[in-house]
Amino acid sequence: MKPKLTIEDSRVRRRPGRRYLLLGVLAGATALSGCAATQNAMMKMMPASMKQKMMAKMTREMQAQDPWKGYLAAHRGETKPLGLLGGPVRVSIRQEGGGVFVALPDYRRLDPDVFGTPKLPRAYGGTPGISGVPPMARAEDDGHYTKLKMLSPFGDKYTVMADGRLKLSALDATATDAARTRDWTHMTASWKDKAGNVYEVKCCRMMAAHGLEFPTFGGVATNLILHGSSRIGTPLMPTEYTYFAFWGVGSVMKNGEVVDPHRLIHGMLTEYVRTTGYRLGFDKDITPTRLQFHLMVAPFKPDMKTGHFDPAPVKTGFRLPNGMPLPFWHVMFENLKIEARRG
Amino acid sequence: MAERADSVRARAGVLAMVILGAVFAGAPFGAPAAAVASAPGAVIRLTNTLAFEPKAVTVHVGQAVEWRNGSLLVHTVTADPALAANAKDVALPAGAKPFNSGDLKPGATYRHIFAVPGRYRYFCIPHEGAGMVGEVVVLPAQVGVR
Ligand SMILES: [Cu+2]
Repeated sequence: MKPKLTIEDSRVRRRPGRRYLLLGVLAGATALSGCAATQNAMMKMMPASMKQKMMAKMTREMQAQDPWKGYLAAHRGETKPLGLLGGPVRVSIRQEGGGVFVALPDYRRLDPDVFGTPKLPRAYGGTPGISGVPPMARAEDDGHYTKLKMLSPFGDKYTVMADGRLKLSALDATATDAARTRDWTHMTASWKDKAGNVYEVKCCRMMAAHGLEFPTFGGVATNLILHGSSRIGTPLMPTEYTYFAFWGVGSVMKNGEVVDPHRLIHGMLTEYVRTTGYRLGFDKDITPTRLQFHLMVAPFKPDMKTGHFDPAPVKTGFRLPNGMPLPFWHVMFENLKIEARRG
Repeated sequence: MAERADSVRARAGVLAMVILGAVFAGAPFGAPAAAVASAPGAVIRLTNTLAFEPKAVTVHVGQAVEWRNGSLLVHTVTADPALAANAKDVALPAGAKPFNSGDLKPGATYRHIFAVPGRYRYFCIPHEGAGMVGEVVVLPAQVGVR
């Protein structure tokens, strides 16, 4: 999964004006040193405008630490990118019925192999929630990180929905990030809730030929490591070998109608990263010989002017048990038929 | 004793009826033969929470275990070391043959008759990584039990 980490904490959303918990936490942490309780108390007393300023400042500082800035600068203007070594790869992935796992907002447990320790933190640079997790957004206990302080699409909570269908074909031809690409993906994915509503994601009208904060390899990538310690995509997902991935622009639909027309969509076929009880594993929990396909529509939109991401809840049309709208889709397909070949 | 009649996909009820009909040839014509004859030694549900419920059952040699997929997911019932991602997720007593239901769609059922006593550990292929593993203990045949 790529971008993500919703800052849409449902508790926060009930109070307009404090929607973005993550950024709020960041702001608080910037301004104040000392214990968390003190920080929280101070935050409550702080005027909204001051919080916003601090939030913006911290976000800029984190973005300045994006580990891929140099790589992206060297590649995004390239108009004649080279092809894959050994030639293009064609991929087809299908699921014909059966259920899917729909991730619900949760507080992600933090893997020390990815995030380090409070003394020596890792994986913090980039827009908070997209490609980094600021140290001040991490809860601590006794010199270790425990979990993320805010809700994100990455965690242990899920619901099962019926009739999962996935039809995907793709070509990985272009090797690196560039201004142009020969990669493409055609995907339709759908699933159904208890009431019979059908949710659907279609992609891609356009491929992400290059990334904004991390590489996308022409929009389709095959046989590489993503997430976790790779720093490509959110580190809130484990470091996972990825047989196929795409990033592109597509639509989110409900009952045959487009409800969110222009979203960055990311899908990937990886080794199995769930563990007992379907908890999202740490790096050490991965099952290398089982596969799963993850579909992600993240609650962020790219801002091409600033070169960074802005929060933007997805209009999924699905409501959580507490009545709040689900602001992202993070859906796993696990009964797959996969074909691939070179040429 | 060799395993016999092992895996019957109850979904294809016809085959089951034929086999059971042969075993219980004495049953009065017109009786609900399948219902009577097929009463399994244990029934296990396959769930949306990636569990076999109950996780462990005990039956006797010659009895069937029936797995019912009451979930929205596709699961399997698999006791085959060649198909396991982790060797610890499967165990068969000496002399028992591996078995595998194949994909069980929502609503499908699967039966296996156990002919070899011992401890069996089995898993679901797509959800093995998520800990979907179960156990069947097969005791020697009960005297007087058909
Ligand atoms: Cu299963």
